Amino acid sequence: MATQRFETPAFDSSELKELKQKLLDGCHVLDREGITDGFGHVSVRLPNTDAFLTIAGVSPGCATLERLVMLDLAGRFLGGVNAPPYEWPIHACILNARPELMSVCHTHSKWSSLFSVLKGGLRPVHMYAKFLPADGPPIYPAAGLVGTVERGNALAAALKDSAAVLLRAHGDAVVGTSLEQAILRTIQLAFLGELAHMAVAHGEPLYMSEDELLTFSADQAFPARPWEYYLSRIRERRSA
Amino acid sequence: MAANRKDVPAIDSSELKELTDKLMTACHILDHEGVTDGYGHISVRVPNADAFITIANVSPGCVTRDRLIMQDLDGNYLDGAKTPPNEWPIHSCILKARPEIVSVAHTHSKWSTIFSVLPIKLKPMHHYGKFLSADGPPIYDGVGLVRTVDRGNELAAALGKGPVVLLRAHGDAVVGESVEQVIERTTRLAMLGEWNHLALLHGEPKYLTAEELKVYNEDQRFPMRGWEYYVSRLEAKK
Repeated sequence: MATQRFETPAFDSSELKELKQKLLDGCHVLDREGITDGFGHVSVRLPNTDAFLTIAGVSPGCATLERLVMLDLAGRFLGGVNAPPYEWPIHACILNARPELMSVCHTHSKWSSLFSVLKGGLRPVHMYAKFLPADGPPIYPAAGLVGTVERGNALAAALKDSAAVLLRAHGDAVVGTSLEQAILRTIQLAFLGELAHMAVAHGEPLYMSEDELLTFSADQAFPARPWEYYLSRIRERRSA
Repeated sequence: MAANRKDVPAIDSSELKELTDKLMTACHILDHEGVTDGYGHISVRVPNADAFITIANVSPGCVTRDRLIMQDLDGNYLDGAKTPPNEWPIHSCILKARPEIVSVAHTHSKWSTIFSVLPIKLKPMHHYGKFLSADGPPIYDGVGLVRTVDRGNELAAALGKGPVVLLRAHGDAVVGESVEQVIERTTRLAMLGEWNHLALLHGEPKYLTAEELKVYNEDQRFPMRGWEYYVSRLEAKK
């Protein structure tokens, strides 16, 4: 059965208030945790529509309610500030290819950038990697910012059904069935990159096998726990 | 009017206020982002004049309005505080050799310094390095602080037409057509140095080729995004 589609709410409607705040929180968390710099963006799909919200030509750390944009999956402007991120196709093409996803993060994370140019891949050395395959996330090899639908579709094809894709010499794109999940995975991917880097300096680490990752995946998850924690860290800063 | 030249505005004139504010912000950014320590300096060319403003023998992190100095491209004192940085020829010689350049930063960046003494070059392994050539910046081999015009001219020759030169066992000099561009390049050079260092511990990374750099250079640019971000971090610190 096809998913029921609803009319897209207006950008300024009160029903989007909570989603916009969550998007801002997600952006500020990535900045606070040292994942993003001046660049990078996060998107969130409007439930049951072909539209998404993202930040409008601004660093995630500097994003405000006044600097958001709403687009449809073809990149058409639907509301907010008409300055979509240059790489909007990252979000549109992935959300189009993967209807189950609600959120996409794109960052220039140091650790993703590092493993994107190495031969061995970012292989799991910690159970936080249970959202990744045992040989690490796929790598999108092409040069150039993802500023066209053609490149966006090539990136979505490289991501396929994974949770993350590394962009060679560029960074990563990480997806989730909720914004909280996409943010958490982005932070965990950076943590995994740092750990794998440190481990390799000692010799070949004991990487986790597919079976072992599955064992961890079968355990209960506590997705609300880290989100609450990361929010507490940005609120600390906002009140400082 | 500036102390020694009638055709150059005074360093504290209103027409130079925006530029001197920007120069001080740039210094504070390099300090806050961990690129400079007690040393290093940034210069900016005075519009339509053979003169530049830099910081007067003070750390970039400690600069204040009363510690700026204006000199001409021969190093003659024009205005402001009377203590030029030791290495003023870095600025004057590069600004003289490259009329299109508006700003020069000189730092002792950890990551530039490390690649200045290694046989392996600091090559672009991320598109943040798209302002560099595929084989990385040249290295100025001379020993000693760049305190003379002779040394300054040698440094400018080593820089050539490029955006960056590493100074062996010393640091870097980074140039740009605006202060903002120099800050973007200097911070990105440091990031690239760190990332290259990390990558090389694993073996040879897959660097961007000249052709791939060209692809990235054809994409749109966002010259003010990083600047806005770094300024916001300074404000958060206050």
